[in-house]
Amino acid sequence: MTAGRPISYSTRAFTFSAGHRYYVGEWAAEENRRVFGNLTVSHGHNYSLEVTVRGTIDARTGMVMDLGELKRIVGELVVSRFDHADLNADPLFVGKVPTTENIAVTIWGLLAPKLGTDRLWRVRVWEDPTLYVDYFGR
Amino acid sequence: MVLLTRRYHFSAGHRLESPHLTAAENALVYGVCHRPHGHNYYVEVTVEGTPDPVTGMAADVGALDEIVERELISRVDHRDLETTVPELSGVITTGESLARAFWGLLAPRLPALTRVAVVETAKNRFEYCGEGDAPV
Repeated sequence: MTAGRPISYSTRAFTFSAGHRYYVGEWAAEENRRVFGNLTVSHGHNYSLEVTVRGTIDARTGMVMDLGELKRIVGELVVSRFDHADLNADPLFVGKVPTTENIAVTIWGLLAPKLGTDRLWRVRVWEDPTLYVDYFGR
Repeated sequence: MVLLTRRYHFSAGHRLESPHLTAAENALVYGVCHRPHGHNYYVEVTVEGTPDPVTGMAADVGALDEIVERELISRVDHRDLETTVPELSGVITTGESLARAFWGLLAPRLPALTRVAVVETAKNRFEYCGEGDAPV
């Protein structure tokens, strides 16, 4: 960190509601039930997503990033794709169980090319008010 | 590597009282916190892991729940933290000290433990991350 150029972090929150289930196609139904229990049954969540960007504060605008632009990018790339969607049917989750962990990593993968890994700091996905997963791209 | 955090709840009574201070000093230092009272506590337990390529899970949340329930929640829920929790003997039950004490209860059972956060009220949050710095 350069002296006099401190790094700031800005976070914007989003919500999307999506359906999913835990199921490994290569396994027998019985094995899926043994490992995942009732998570093998199709269900859904009201997910919350927090996207944090980092950077120096622009001297002219006073902002790390225009959060309106962040809202547009995350809306286009993530929320419009996942809201009221069946996550298991999304090509991003072919052969991949849409766990909260994998959702966080996948959302990072959608956003990083657009935001840049210098700017994108953290993706936090809340499955419900008792469980969240953080991914920092590492 | 991801960090998975699970949020738990318990309610307990406590007061802040240091054996190193006189009654008058305790009242002065801790103010209203010196009086017996209680909180709806929340505890956030964070573990790190890499999602398994097949199951997609970095941690078994069911197993985590079982361990936290057994090692922590069942010991403190609806208890008086000063007098009825042997594991907290000698601990001044500030949020900071509770976070560290809870870490001590959980760490032996959770090798991937990276953070314990104690949320005392909606306005007070205390985190302990073991000997090292806070995770990113």
